[in-house]
Amino acid sequence: MIRYTLMRLALLAAGLVVASVIIFFTLRVLPGDVAQLIGGTNSTPEQIAAIRERLDLDAPLAAQYLDWVGGVLRGDLGASLLTGTPVAAELAQKAQITLPLGALSLTIALLFAGPLGVISALRRARLGGTVIGVGAQTLAAVPVVWAGMMLVVVFAVWWGVLPAQGFPRDGWSDPGAALRSLVLPALTIGIVEGAMLLRFVRSATLQAMGQDYVRTAASQGLTRTRALIRHGLPNVGLSVVTVLGLQVAGIIVGAVVIEQLFSLPGIGRMLVRDVSARDLPMVQGELLALTAFVLLVGFVVDLVHRLIDPRQRESAA
Amino acid sequence: MHRRTPLALAALVAAAVLSLSACAPSTSPAPSGSPDADSSVVVRLALEPTNLDIRQTSGSALDQILIDNVYQGLVARTPEQEIVPALASDWTVSDDRLTYTFTLREGVTFHDGQPLTPEDVVFSLTQHRDNAGWVDAATLTNVTGVTADGQKITVTLSEPDSQLLWNLSGRAGIILKEGDGVDYQTASNGTGPFTLERWTRGDNITFARNPAYWGTPAKAAEVVFDYIPDNQAALNAALAGEVDVVTGFDANLKTQIEANGDFSLVVGDSTDKGTLAFNQTSGPLADKRVRQAIRQAIDHDAFVEALGAGKTMYGPIPSLDPGYEDLSEVAPYDPDAAKKLLADAGAADTTLTLTIPSFYPATISQLLVSDLNAVGITLKVDSVDFPTWLTNVYTNHDYELSFVLHTEARDFINWTNPEYYFTYDNPQVTQLYTQARAATSDEEAAKLLAQAARIVSDDAAADWLYNGASVVAVGTKVSGFPSVNVNERLNVTELGKSDG
Repeated sequence: MIRYTLMRLALLAAGLVVASVIIFFTLRVLPGDVAQLIGGTNSTPEQIAAIRERLDLDAPLAAQYLDWVGGVLRGDLGASLLTGTPVAAELAQKAQITLPLGALSLTIALLFAGPLGVISALRRARLGGTVIGVGAQTLAAVPVVWAGMMLVVVFAVWWGVLPAQGFPRDGWSDPGAALRSLVLPALTIGIVEGAMLLRFVRSATLQAMGQDYVRTAASQGLTRTRALIRHGLPNVGLSVVTVLGLQVAGIIVGAVVIEQLFSLPGIGRMLVRDVSARDLPMVQGELLALTAFVLLVGFVVDLVHRLIDPRQRESAA
Repeated sequence: MHRRTPLALAALVAAAVLSLSACAPSTSPAPSGSPDADSSVVVRLALEPTNLDIRQTSGSALDQILIDNVYQGLVARTPEQEIVPALASDWTVSDDRLTYTFTLREGVTFHDGQPLTPEDVVFSLTQHRDNAGWVDAATLTNVTGVTADGQKITVTLSEPDSQLLWNLSGRAGIILKEGDGVDYQTASNGTGPFTLERWTRGDNITFARNPAYWGTPAKAAEVVFDYIPDNQAALNAALAGEVDVVTGFDANLKTQIEANGDFSLVVGDSTDKGTLAFNQTSGPLADKRVRQAIRQAIDHDAFVEALGAGKTMYGPIPSLDPGYEDLSEVAPYDPDAAKKLLADAGAADTTLTLTIPSFYPATISQLLVSDLNAVGITLKVDSVDFPTWLTNVYTNHDYELSFVLHTEARDFINWTNPEYYFTYDNPQVTQLYTQARAATSDEEAAKLLAQAARIVSDDAAADWLYNGASVVAVGTKVSGFPSVNVNERLNVTELGKSDG
């Protein structure tokens, strides 16, 4: 287990190094730079040159990359070219919105996909199961934006029970208000992600139902449903854990879209803003942090999976 | 929701009656109640400043909220572009128009409590002229000296400049504290009626009333600029009662936002120029006949109708700026004439590419594609993000057709600069512009500018798809919101909200 953990950790580190190279150099391929944005549509070439010099944009790429990585290793993610704000500080601030949003979305997705997925598998031959299956299929195909729009129209515009957009300007100082403003965005992501998860749970359950151990348990007198619950579901849970890593990545992508739609000042909106301002130190810091987060979730999921799945434990011993 | 409708309707009627009787031409209708001195008014804006450095960072998103509200100059301008006193209580101009003498107000303090001194004025204007990297530094090149004698500030020029006062009411004239330690990128220290209370990047900028303001204090205790880029999200926020004013609104959503009677749409003039630039250095567009054909192939009325607001314009100067005249006869909509011009130019079957920043409505490129297709031009649309446009089009002039909404007032100077991305070069225009700047009266300056503008239009140097409007949805409880050219300047001193 220790050897496995170390190997997995080395893989994580290598992944981060590769990611840093890709992030840094692909961003440099983007046309346009922050100096032109500061200069705007009445600037002269001399003015742009002065801004470029002030911001030190003309250093060789390799040197800039080493500078950045060196900083990251010392715990310094860099700072905005526009405001001088440290990337880490702003990330920490925006994470106060995006992390709860992601956690809430994931919870909603699991609550929605777990029970419904199992039920639709158990009732697959009946009307209820078919309705759930088709419903999930449809929901999974729905664009996040559209789902969000519909929720806003119903809950915020018609009923007026939840805010249509935005986050309390004083943050979490009123937790109730803050939470309320996350409900619709989290529902939007949760339903769409959940619909995908539901199909996964459904097929995992169907597969488990066909397994020998469930049939054996059933032949020993348990009802098929109870046999499935006692012996099949732990296996379904295991396979769900493995896709959680993917789900987290999906939720981050969802958050980027949803934070625009709901004007939530989180990491997603920050990322879009910084890309469109070509504030590259910010963008690369944000992307590296997000990549590290996804890789870390994958790492933890792998470890957990190994811990709770006796079959894997034995084969690795 | 339906219960509130009769009441809201009554308020709307009352507001309409009041606005007819009140003499407030450029502000929104007065609401039924009187403004609440403790009110916080939330205003939706679309475009957030990249940072707050009023000295070095360009962009009308900074001018829009920071000038007049936070920072001030010796003089200011009204939405109708009239020059009015600000930090100078009055001024005189010498007969030869080379010496301007301003009287600086006494007892003015900056937001951090430091006093405004004549030396600060000399420092600010000199710095602005001498730092090439500062926005609009070039507008002060005629200034040979700035001196102070007591509260008298004297600005001397090398030659008369009919634009000087107007320029001083903008970026170039902003008065800062000499040797100030404020971090201009994220904070501010001005003399205006509002202090910058908070900037949460990517979310909002909040102003608080400056209790130590030298003039009439602001009506609202707090003004929150909520940056909501998406129009639909802004509409939802308005309908849910989360914002009091929506600027930059889509006029096509008028019925939706006015449906429950809490908002009414206010449409005013603006200096937004929907500019279709032609790269005329090479290729088919180097031929004036092709450019003229494109102009006549475009149904400008259809653009205005599709946008739901604004008006047509056929030359480089909008109606709010000096030198405007109706030039519609220069390029009337006439697809047959356009086809003939193209045939004469041997360009009957041409393919051109339009480079357009992606944040503009798709309607614009769709209408262009169909109008040009009707005369035999195939238009390819290259939708890019704004920094890409800045590199490819603005800096490298690597484009054929480009669309951008130029919001700045009085920016005719770009037609006199062959290095500008318009790629237009006509010495006669440059000469007329120089004469206009040196003119000794505003009337004369306007006349010369009008001549220059007519030549630019005659040369088919570009096409102007429309002159945008300031479209603002104003809550019925809100009063004093400017209605003219709010994209360029948004003075919120008079903005108030009643509690009733």
